[in-house]
Order: sequence, then C-alpha cells, then structure tokens
Amino acid sequence: MNDMAVQASHLSKSFGPKQVIDDLSFEVSRGDVIGVLGKNGAGKTTLLELMLGFTPPSGGAVSVFGHASGQLPGGVKSRVGFVPQQDELLDQLSVADQLKVIASFYEAWDANLIERLCAEWRLDPKARIKSMSVGERQKLSILLAFGHRPDLLVLDEPVASLDPMARRQFLEQLVDASADGQRAIIFSSHIVSDIERLANRIWILKDGRLNWHGDLDSIKESVVRLHIRGAEQVLAGLSVPGALSQRHEGAFATVVVRDWTPARQHSIEESAAVEVEVESLGLEEIFLELHR
Amino acid sequence: MSTVARLVYSYFMCTPMTRALTLGGLALYVFSLYVMASWPQSEHMLAFAAAGQIALFLGSAMMPLMFGRIAQSKAMVLLPRGRLKLLFSALITVAIIAAPVGLVTPFVYVAGNGGKFSDLSKYPQLRDFTVNTGLVIYTSSCILAGWLYVAMWFLSSQRNMAGLAKGLLVIVFTLFWPAREIRELSGTIAWNIQALAVVWTIFGAGFLFWPRLKMVRARWRLPNFLGTQTPALRTSGREVDLILGTRNPWLMIAALTVPLVIASRIGTGVPAVWLFFLTIFSTVTGAIAGQAAERSRALWLRRGWSRAEIFLQAERSFWRHNSVVLGVLLALMVLIGSYTSLPLNLLAAGIPLLVLGTVLSTYLGFMITRGIRWPEASIGIAIMLSLMAIPMLLEAENANLAVVCAIEGCLAIFAIILRTIARRRWEQIDWSQCRPSRALSTRQA
Amino acid sequence: MFVLKPQSGVPIYRQIRDQVRRLVASGQLAPGAELPSVRDLAVRHAVNPMTISKAYSLLEAEGLLERNRGRPMTVASQAKNSSQLSKRLQQVQPLVEQTVLAAKQLELSETDLLKSVRQNWENGDE
Repeated sequence: MNDMAVQASHLSKSFGPKQVIDDLSFEVSRGDVIGVLGKNGAGKTTLLELMLGFTPPSGGAVSVFGHASGQLPGGVKSRVGFVPQQDELLDQLSVADQLKVIASFYEAWDANLIERLCAEWRLDPKARIKSMSVGERQKLSILLAFGHRPDLLVLDEPVASLDPMARRQFLEQLVDASADGQRAIIFSSHIVSDIERLANRIWILKDGRLNWHGDLDSIKESVVRLHIRGAEQVLAGLSVPGALSQRHEGAFATVVVRDWTPARQHSIEESAAVEVEVESLGLEEIFLELHR
Repeated sequence: MSTVARLVYSYFMCTPMTRALTLGGLALYVFSLYVMASWPQSEHMLAFAAAGQIALFLGSAMMPLMFGRIAQSKAMVLLPRGRLKLLFSALITVAIIAAPVGLVTPFVYVAGNGGKFSDLSKYPQLRDFTVNTGLVIYTSSCILAGWLYVAMWFLSSQRNMAGLAKGLLVIVFTLFWPAREIRELSGTIAWNIQALAVVWTIFGAGFLFWPRLKMVRARWRLPNFLGTQTPALRTSGREVDLILGTRNPWLMIAALTVPLVIASRIGTGVPAVWLFFLTIFSTVTGAIAGQAAERSRALWLRRGWSRAEIFLQAERSFWRHNSVVLGVLLALMVLIGSYTSLPLNLLAAGIPLLVLGTVLSTYLGFMITRGIRWPEASIGIAIMLSLMAIPMLLEAENANLAVVCAIEGCLAIFAIILRTIARRRWEQIDWSQCRPSRALSTRQA
Repeated sequence: MFVLKPQSGVPIYRQIRDQVRRLVASGQLAPGAELPSVRDLAVRHAVNPMTISKAYSLLEAEGLLERNRGRPMTVASQAKNSSQLSKRLQQVQPLVEQTVLAAKQLELSETDLLKSVRQNWENGDE
C-alpha cells in the first residue's frame, strides 16, 4: 500500500488566459496535517480540487494513494473525504435522511461516531436542512466527510461560518482524528490561529505558486523580525540578505527576514557593529509579511 | 444495492408532502384495485386508480431534484461508484412509477366484463390480450415518466427562462407522443422496449461518462450547449422591475413561443388542445410572481414605501410585464385559431380563459409570502384543474357555453379574492419567513 | 499543567519543552511523575499531537523524560540531578536578557536594576 497520500509534480492549472496554479510539486504523507494559507483568489480551492480530481490539470500530474486523481477507483474514493466550501446538502431532507443517503454509498460507516458527534455538536437529526442556520449546515457537511473514516481528509474553509465554540469542537475532533498519525489532513482556512494549532506543515500559496512549504515550526524559526540598534549611518546602509521588509528610524531599524538561522545573528552583529535582537512572529504576522 | 434502495426510498418518502402523496396515492390505487377485483361493473374506479397514480407520481417529484443536485455536486466525484448507483436509482424509480398504470389493465377488464379473475384464466386469449395491453401501457408509461422527470428537472433546477423553455418543450413533446400512445393504445411492446433501450442507453452513457466529456470539452474549449445562464440583454430600466425580475417580458415570451411553434410543426388533430396549451402557458407567469414576495424585501429599504405601497408597486410592475405576455398569447391564440379553423365559440371562451390563467396564477404567486404550504399548493392544483377542465368541456360534443361562462365567472371572483388575500398578506409580510433565497451558486455544468 | 500559546512566535514544541524543563528543575514535577499522554494533551489544548510528541521525544533524548511501554511518559529518576546549575541558568537567561534590555532602554543604571531585583527576591520569600 502506497504510503504517500498525495503526490504532485509540476502541477499547473489555467482557466483560459489566467494561470491559477503554476508548477507545483509536493508530497503529502500519512500523518501530515497541512494548513493551506493564501489570499482570496490565490488558488487554494483550485488546488484542493485538482488534488481530488474534480478538475483536470492543465499540466503536470497529481495522484492520490498512488492513483491518478482523474481516475480514482472506488476503493480509493472510499478512503477520501472532502468538505467543500459551499455545502451541497439537499435542502428538503432532514439531517438523519441526508446522513443515511450518503452513508449508503460507503461500506464502512461509523454510525456510533456520527451519533455521538451529532449530540455533541447539537445537530437535531429530525431538523429539516433548509431551516438550519449556516453554521449548522457546515457542521453537517463536516460530519458527512467524517463518517466513513477516510485516510485522507481534505477541507476547504471548513470553519468559515462556525462560531468560536463550534470551531473549537471541530478542531478537537480533527486532533482526535489525527492523533494516531495514520491520517492525512489538508485544510485551507483564513483563520490563522486554527492552522497554528492544528497543522504541522504549512503551504502558503501566492499567485499560484507555493511561496512557502515546510514545517510550521521551521517557518516560525525562519521568518523573524530583527530589531537592530546602531549608528545611524551604518543602519542606513545596512542590507540584510533575505529581507522582506525594512524600516529605519534614527538609531533603530526593524527588518523582517526569511531563512533566518541563529548563526546569522552573530555574523551581522560583528560585521556591522550593531546590536541585534530577534523577535519571533506568529503565523498571521508571518503571512502578512510574506505578502507585503 | 442498498444505496440504490436508500435513494429510491428517499425520493418517495423524504419530505412530509411527498410522503403523504406517495402513501395516499398508493392507498387510493390499492383500494380501487380491490373494488375492481371484487365488484362487477366497477370500471369507473379507474378514475380513482388514475388519481392514485398521479399522486404517486407527484410523490416521486423529489427524484429529478435530488438526482440533479447530487449529480452536479462535488461530492458525486468522490462517492464510490456514485454515478452508477444514482443512475440505477433513477431507472428503478421510472420502472416503479409506471407500474401501477400498467398493472391496472387486467383489473379494468375484469371489472368491466363483470367477471372475476378466475375468468381470465378460463379465456387464455383474453388473458393474453390484457397482459399484452398492460405491458404496452407499462412501457409507454416508462417512456412518458422518463420525459416528464426530465421536464421537471429543467423546471426546478434551472430557475431561469432557459430552463423554463426547456421544461415546457419537453412537456409539449410528451403530450404529443408518449401520452397520446397511452391514450390511444397505439404502441407495441417491441417498439416501446427498443425506444426505452435506446433512450436509456444514450442517457446512461452520457451520464456515466459526463466527467470525461467535460474534460474533452475543457480541452477543446467547446461551447456549453446546456448553458444555464440567461444572457443579460439590457439592464437599464425601472428599479422596481429590475429587482422583481419583470424587466424583460420578451424572455418569457421567447420561452413560451418556441415550444408552441415547435408543437405547431408536429400538429395535432384537435383544435381545443391548443387552447389547453395556451391556458397552461398563461399560468406560467405565476412562476415569477411566486418570487415577488421575497424579492420585494429589497424595496423596503430602498424607497420610503410602506408595505401596502410596495404591494401596489409590485402589482403594477407585474402587470407591465404580464400584459405584454398576455397580449402575445392572445395574438397567438387568434392566429392559431384562424389557422386551424377554431370554432368561434371556442375563441370567445378562450380569451377570458387566458386572462384568467394569467390573473389567477399571478395573484397566487403573490400569496406565497411564507413558502409554498398546503393552502397555496391546493389552491394552485384547484386552479389548474378548473382551467384545464374548461377546454375539455368545450371540446365535448354537447358543449354547454353557459356552464363554461359560469365557471369563468366564478374564477374571476376567485381572482379578486386571491388579490385581497395577497394584499393583506403583504401588509403583514415578514421577510425573514419568506422562502430563504439562497443565492444559487453558478455551478460548472 | 501547561500553558500553551499557539499564536506565539515560539513553536509549540518549544513551549512544552521549556515548561517541562522549568517544572522539573523547580521540583514541581518529581522524578517518576507521569505526564499527560500525547492524545490527551492534544485534545485538551486543541493542538497537533505530533508537535507534542516531538517535544516529548526531544525531552527523552535530553534524558529528562522516560518512555514506558504501555504507560504515559514519566520524569526520569536522574532528572533533577542531571540538571546542572549551568543548564538551569540557561532557563532564565532569555528573561534576564529581556530585563536588561528594557532597563537600558529606560536608561536605568545597573545599580537601580539590581536594587529592584533584590527587592523582588526578598518579597518573594515572604
């Protein structure tokens, strides 16, 4: 059995003249929890859709559990779960009926888990979907993707409409699902704090390319803000390689760098005769700086 | 297999209304069968059986809607063997829904000839005849049911004039061919089965291979023939008209005349059928009137009108639109009437009929301020039945014009009542209870 | 037991690691004490279990924690002794740096700062 959940090489997608995804290559192993960040229109949804075969790539290839995404056999499909950005529930049905309809497509459906989560998340099985609020609909969409215990879970903005408590419940559930290290989870979100909690790897999509892909821990250690103190003339002429932004006021300068290592601190201090203090940044700050 | 069973069950039983229709229809049907089997000369029970069948068919109305929605969803791509199971569920539904009307044939013969079932076994020729007729009717009904589902899907899922036109086109088509075959028992089993096989194979293959076809289309950048977007012709005009959707009556006129023109090419022997069609088409204006209440919400904040004033403005806007549509329909009726030498009394009764159709359906649409519930649905059915009854009465041999005029008079009074109810409802309108107008996302077909 | 701040610039595994070191050094986690399981901690704080497991593995490599088959991680019996003075000083080093920097920015003298430190030390003893 192939251990690679998803594998892509030189993946690209364009809609007419517009290049949405440009030459992406990546691997997702079982046990990874990947958070996909990007501005609106950066191509997050398109990327997730390419991965699962909803839309054919314009170039390159992507495969899921060893099979090409466009032709996934039934066995592989039952190992994949997807939560779309806009729910696809059947308005006229009740919650219980909708669950039963989807459950009937899968051989392995964990009814106990679904029942427990319905109670915890306060979804009334008899409620009509068309009378439910947006948050409840989203919770139901998430449940529909969990029920068959997929090995690969792909979620497109799953918590956009959930209140903080519902979000926390959902996160706890995802944590539980990822705890055995056998599942691969890929989710895109605007809510950076959720990604910070949950992901161990980060993909930052900018203009269709992976601006950053790597461990969350290493991105926090690599993108830092430097507070530099020194003589004004020295600071004015200071150039730090890999700087994303630089600000200079009198005897102080603030520089945000990527690819930072602790060794560079000494080399800068010695070569320029300045004092450097390193401030680590949260993921939201990092995201903003990378998009400046 | 359990998937298919669960899907078919959901089609019939998942909402309270369809459940009531399914169970009620079945009960009515079984009851009529029982009477026909037990009492001689009871073939009039066929009407009950027919009513039961119609109710059952309406009870399965969720099928095209659910089928369409699931088929177009992203989830469908990931459900294991999803397309295949969905397709089977649709085919099985068609097979089930056509069964009652085929099955009833031997019962009708038994009842009509004052005998019992044991008689049938005594006369093998009669038995073979009834079985054969039953199968002809069954297979013809399968064809008819399939096309009607297609029409329902067009009407319900593509809520724009293009969808309306397609749906009406299919309905006109079915009234001419499969329905006529059933009425006149003119088909043969072999021909029907071949027709079914061809149609279902094409549909099935197209449906199963739709993803690959989409890829080919994307690669070759072929145009989208089943397009769901109505081209926006002109967007200037009165704000009220734009908000309510009554800006351009010519879209609806196009959607209505195209099926009529095509039907005229096929031709039909009975002139009153035209009146029938035109009447049905005149009620289509009610379709957009049904959305008037929820759309009027935008007017509340944009102008300083009270709710009562909003009603009057909406009414005026709809009459600006409907009068054009009505005018064209009346002109068409006169044209077709002179072309097919329609008798004058039919024409005379037909003009108020079309007017009534438009008026009644528009005000019924206005009455929909809290979604379609039992009162509105039953009124709608009652209106349709009475409107359809008039051309049939006129077509009868001893057509009694007085009766027709009386009915039309009653309907006119009913229209005034509907208007009063609508106005009162609008004065109390609670927009948060209107049918939630979720923006129908543009799906990539 | 732990205070985790996912939005901090400090990666979560490092926060756990630092806190465990502090707790062991101060004796609040005695040798043999059981730590919460990876799964429990992950669900309670709603953070990725792999990051917690990473922290635990690093601490095990340092000799601070012991892995027991079938049971949760425990504090190693040699933990406190192996935590030398230099290592413990290393724990407070960043805080000292910050305090010194702040004092310099505020143009306080070394004497002023030491006076404040002594005051705090004596107050803390009460």
